Amino acid sequence: MKILVIISQTQDTEAKIQVSASGDSIDTEGMKWIMNPYDEFAIEEAIQTKEKHGGEVVIVAIGPARVIEIIRQALAMGADSAVHIKGDSFADTDSFATGKLIASEIKKLGEFDVIFTGMKIIDEESGQVGVQVAEELGIPHVSLVSKVIEINPDSKKAICQKEIDGGHVVVEVPLPCLITCPDAMNEPRYASLPGIMKAKKKPLTEVSIDDINFDDLGFSKDAVSKEGARVKTIGIEVPQIERKLKIIKGDDEPMVKGEAVAKSAEELIKLLREDAKVI
Amino acid sequence: MSNDVWVVADLKLDGTIRKVTFEALTEAKKKLVGKLGGQLCAVLLGSGVSGLEGELGKYGAEKVYVVDSELLKDFNTEGYVIALSELIKQNEPAVVIAGNTVFGQDYFPRVAARVGSGVAMDTISIDLSSDNKLQIERFSHSSKAVQKQVFHGGTTMMATVRPNSFKTEEAPATPEVVSGSVELNPGDIHVKVVELQTKESDRPELTEAERVVAGGRGLGSEENFKYIYELADALGAAAGATRAAVDAGYCPYDMQVGQTGKAVSPNLYIAIAISGSIQHIAGMGSSKVIVAINKDPDAPIFQKCDYGIVGDLFDILPPFTEKVKALLSEG
Repeated sequence: MKILVIISQTQDTEAKIQVSASGDSIDTEGMKWIMNPYDEFAIEEAIQTKEKHGGEVVIVAIGPARVIEIIRQALAMGADSAVHIKGDSFADTDSFATGKLIASEIKKLGEFDVIFTGMKIIDEESGQVGVQVAEELGIPHVSLVSKVIEINPDSKKAICQKEIDGGHVVVEVPLPCLITCPDAMNEPRYASLPGIMKAKKKPLTEVSIDDINFDDLGFSKDAVSKEGARVKTIGIEVPQIERKLKIIKGDDEPMVKGEAVAKSAEELIKLLREDAKVI
Repeated sequence: MSNDVWVVADLKLDGTIRKVTFEALTEAKKKLVGKLGGQLCAVLLGSGVSGLEGELGKYGAEKVYVVDSELLKDFNTEGYVIALSELIKQNEPAVVIAGNTVFGQDYFPRVAARVGSGVAMDTISIDLSSDNKLQIERFSHSSKAVQKQVFHGGTTMMATVRPNSFKTEEAPATPEVVSGSVELNPGDIHVKVVELQTKESDRPELTEAERVVAGGRGLGSEENFKYIYELADALGAAAGATRAAVDAGYCPYDMQVGQTGKAVSPNLYIAIAISGSIQHIAGMGSSKVIVAINKDPDAPIFQKCDYGIVGDLFDILPPFTEKVKALLSEG
C-alpha cells in the first residue's frame, strides 16, 4: 500500500504568546516549533497500516526550512520518505492555497491508497486543509475518525468509526480516501535512537516555489503570500478575561471541611444567584 | 453575485433544527442583511425535511432553498457538498454561514474548495467591513488569541459560527419556499453509513447548553461521575469532562471539553475536580461565569474562575446539589 501523511509544524501553544509589533500576528521570536499534535496520530495510524499490510509511508509537508525538523521526526517514527514543499512565503499561505499546493504535489506522487492528516492545526485551529486536499484530488474524505476499524487493500475499502453530535457512525469508504485524525485514536510512538539515525538517510524531495506551475493551480504566485490570502488576518489580540476570583476557603486550612461544608455550599449558591445571576 | 445572505440549517439526528441555526439567522439579519441590501435566506438540506421552513421563517428567513432527498440522510457529506455547491453556483450569494458543528466542520470546507471561496471556521463574531466584505473574529492559538479577519476577492464569503456565540431573536417572516434544482445520483455517494448509533439523553448538547457541569480525573471512577450527572440534571445542564477523565474511561469521548474536544461557551461552567490545564481552558475559557470546586488550593483553575470552593467534591457536591434542586424547584 502507498500511504501518505500530510503534516504541519505549529507554534507550541503551551507557550506564553504575545502579539507582534505589526499587530496582526503572534510574535514567533524565540517560539518553539513543534509537530502539530494531531499529525502525530496521523503518522501513527499510517505506520500501523503499513505494519499490517506492507507498503510505504510518504510524508508531505509545506513550509519554511525549519519544517525539516518535523519531517525528520516523522521519518524517525517510521515513515519511509518525504516531500517538502519548501519556501519562506508558505508560512503565510492561507488554507485555500495551501490545500491546492499540497494536492498538486500529491498528484505527482502517482497512485496511492490512503492519506492521513490531523483534524486541524493547533495554532490556526481551522481544520480545512485536509478536507480541501481531498476535494482537489477528487477523492472522498472521512473527518474526525475515532477508530479505523479496517483498511482492506484487496477490496479497496476502509471502514471507520467517527463521532458525531449525539452518537457515532460507522462508514465504509472506497480507497483512495483521506482520513482526518483527532486525538485518542491511537498512541503515537516515540522515535527510537536507531530510527533517528536511519531517518537521516531516508529519501527527501524538496520542491521550491519555482518548481510550482501556478497556471495549473489556477491562481497566481501572489496567492501564496499574506497579501494574497482570501481571508486575511488584519488584527490579533490576546484578550485577558478578568475573573472575579471569589474563592471560599476553610478557616484554618485551605480546604472547607466538616460543618463549614453546608455553609460553603449555601454561600456559593447565593453568589451564583445574587452576584452572578446565573441560576 | 447577489447580495443575499444564506444560513444553512444544521439538523440534529432527530431531525429538528439546531439552535445555532437560529443564532446565525438572528446575527446575520442584525449585522449583514440590511447593509448588503439583499435577502436573508435559509438552506434546508436533508431527507424528509420539508415542513421545517416555518421554523426558519420564525427567525427572519425570507426565502428557504430546500433539497429534500433520500441521498442526504444520515449527514451525508458528499450529498451536502454537491447540493450546497450547486445552489451556490446557481445563485451566487454574497455570504453563506453554517454552524461549526461536527458535521459543519466536515462538509463546509469542502464546499468552499469546490466553489473556490475562502472560508473562516468557528467564528465568534460576524460583521461587514466598510467596503462590505465579511469581517469576522475567531479564536486561535489554543483559544488564547482572537484573530480579526477580513475577506478579499469577489467570490462568495463563507463562515461557520461557534454555537452559543449569538443570541436568538424571533423576527417572524413567511418564507418563500424554493425547491433547489439539484440532481443527486446514488453514484455520487461513495461514503456509506453502515451503522448509526444515537445516544438517548435528556440532557442538552454540550455546545449549545446554557449551563455545563464538567468533571475531571479527580472523580476517580465512572461510577462517581453520577455526581456530575446529578448536578447537571438539577441545573438542566449538559455534562462535560476533561481529557484525563475521558482517557481514564470514566465517560465517553463526546463529553470531552478542551482543545482536543469540544469548545463551549455557556453562561455557567462548573468545573468539578478539574485542575485547569491550558488544553482544557482552551475549550471553556470563554464561558461567561466559571465556578471551580477542587481540593487543591493551588490548582490553576482557581486563577481562571469567578467563584470557587476549595474542598473535596465528595463533601461539597451532595449538599450543593440538594440545595440547587430545592432552589430551582421553588422557581
